[in-house]
Amino acid sequence: MEDDLLICRCEEVTRSEVEEAIRMGLRTVNEIKRFTRAGFGLCQGKTCGRLICDILIREADMAPSEVLPGTSRPPVRPIPTRVLANRVSKEDE
Amino acid sequence: MRVDVHPILGNAPTGKSIILLVDGRPIKAIEGEPIAAALLASGRRVLRHTARHGEPRGLFCALGRCTDCVMTVDGQPNVRTCVTPARDGMVIESQVGLGRWKHLPLEKEE
Amino acid sequence: MQKTEIAVIGAGPAGLAAAIEAARAGAQVTLIDENERPGGQLFKQIHKFFGSKEHRAGTRGVEIGVDLLEEAKRVGVITRLNTVVYGLYHDKCLGLACGDHSEDLQTQAIILATGASENVLAFPGWTLPGVMGAGAAQTLINIHRVLPGRRILMVGAGNVGLIVTYQLLQAGAEVVAIIEGLPVIGGYGVHASKVRRAGVPILTSHTIVSAEGGESVERAVIAQVDNRWQVLCGTEQTLEVDTVCLAVGLSPLAELAWMAGCRFSHVPTLGGWVPLHDQDMQTSVPGIYIAGDVAGIEEASTAMEEGRLAGLAAAGTLCHLSPEVGEIKKSEVRDRLAALRWGGFGEGRAVAKRQIIEARCEA
Repeated sequence: MEDDLLICRCEEVTRSEVEEAIRMGLRTVNEIKRFTRAGFGLCQGKTCGRLICDILIREADMAPSEVLPGTSRPPVRPIPTRVLANRVSKEDE
Repeated sequence: MRVDVHPILGNAPTGKSIILLVDGRPIKAIEGEPIAAALLASGRRVLRHTARHGEPRGLFCALGRCTDCVMTVDGQPNVRTCVTPARDGMVIESQVGLGRWKHLPLEKEE
Repeated sequence: MQKTEIAVIGAGPAGLAAAIEAARAGAQVTLIDENERPGGQLFKQIHKFFGSKEHRAGTRGVEIGVDLLEEAKRVGVITRLNTVVYGLYHDKCLGLACGDHSEDLQTQAIILATGASENVLAFPGWTLPGVMGAGAAQTLINIHRVLPGRRILMVGAGNVGLIVTYQLLQAGAEVVAIIEGLPVIGGYGVHASKVRRAGVPILTSHTIVSAEGGESVERAVIAQVDNRWQVLCGTEQTLEVDTVCLAVGLSPLAELAWMAGCRFSHVPTLGGWVPLHDQDMQTSVPGIYIAGDVAGIEEASTAMEEGRLAGLAAAGTLCHLSPEVGEIKKSEVRDRLAALRWGGFGEGRAVAKRQIIEARCEA
C-alpha cells in the first residue's frame, strides 16, 4: 500500500505518519521530527530531511522557501560518545 | 563481482589479501577497502535488518552519511561499513536495529 | 588548543583549490577531510571535462585531482585526513573527531567546501538492498572496483545519471534503461548520445513505480507519467534488474553553515537552500567562506574557481595579500567563473549566483 511508504529509513517512519502530523497542524521539520521521530535516528535526517520538506510543501501548501531544514547540531556525523569524551588538547608545535 | 580490468582505469591495483570473519564465515577482502565493498564483492548485499519491521538494508549512500550499512565490527555496533577500512581478522556481524555492544567499551579500560 | 590561520573543510576540488591559493599567498592552512583519501568526488570522475583549455578541458577529473594534491603538498598545506569536523562553534572554533579522540581547532577564517549530498526518491521498495545513489555506484566501481550489481536501472537523465550509466557500462555492468520523469533529458547532449550509442534506451516521462524482491532487488516496475507526474494506467512494465541507481539531483551539504548562523536563500536552480555569499565567497558571517557545491550545485571546474576565490579572499583578509594584488587576482578568477557559467546550461546558474550575491549585499 502506497501509504505505508517509508520516509525515514532509520526510525522507519512512514509517509502517512508524517502526513498525520501535518494534519494535526505541525508545520516545521523540527516539529515533525519530535512528533514522529522521523530524522531522530542514527543519520539525523540526512536522507529523509529533504523528503519531509517536500511533503510539507505538498500537503501544507507551503512555498519551498518557507520550509527550513531541521536544525543542524553537533555532532554532524555519528561519533561515539567516548571519542567526544576523550578530548585531547595538543599544544602548538 | 570485482572490476579487475577497466578500459580507462586499467587493471585493479593489487592489494594485500586478507580475511574477514562475517557472521562466522570467512570471506576474502583487500586490506583497506571499505568493509561494505568487500561484502558486496563476495556477493553479500544484505548488511542488517531494521528494528521495527525487520526489513533488510544494504549499502545506500556509500559516503558515510545515511548509516544504512551499519554492522557490528569487533564487538562495536553501528559501525558504518561503507567508510570503515577492512583489516585482517576483523569480526563482522549483522545487527538488528541499533544492535548491542558485545562488551562494554569502558570495561576494557583500566 | 591547536590553532591555524585558515581551516578548509572538505578536500574536494573546491577545498583543494582554496587551500592551495591561500597557502600560496603565505597563510597557514589546515585542510580537513573526513575521508581516508583526499580529492572528494574528483577521483570518481574518470570522464574528460569540458570547457576551455585553461579549465583543463579534455583532462579527466582523476588527473586534475592528482595535480591538486601534489600542489597542495608543495605549497605547505597541512592536510588532516580521517578527521571529521563534527561542530562549528562561536568565534570560529572547530570541533574535530579523529580516530579515538576529539580536539578543538581555533581558526581565524574558515572555508566550507563540504560539497553536496544526493537527493533521493521514495517509492515502494526503495529501502531494499540494491537501491542506491548513483554516486554510491560510481564510488564502488571507480574507487573500490566493485560492481554494485549486474543489471541496472538508472533513475534520472541529468548529467550524473548519464555519466554514471556510461561508467557502469565501462565497468562491465549492463544498464537496462535510464528513466527520466521530465519529458526532456536534463544532461548534456554529448553524454546522452554516448549512452544511446552504447545501446541504453533513455525513456523520458517515465518514473519508477516500485522496486521488488525478497531480501534485495530482483525487479523494478516503471511506468509512463503525464506532465503532472501521474502514472498513466496500463503503461507499467517490469524490468528484470538487481540494482536501481538514483540520480535525482544534489543538495548543498551546508550543515556547518547553518550551525554557524549563516543566512540562506532558497534557490531551486542551485539545488535548494544555499548560504548567501558575496563576490569573495564570504557568507553573512564574517570570516566564514564557502566554495563549490555547498555554495550551489554546479560542476568541478566552477568549484575549483570558487575555491581559488575563497582562498584568495581569506588570505587577503588576514593580510597575506595587499588589497591591490588581491583584487587583481580575484578579478581574474571571477572572469574565468563568468566564462564557465555560459550558454544554455550556465546562464541560469549565472543569474542565480548574481541574485545570491545581491541578497548578501542587502543583508
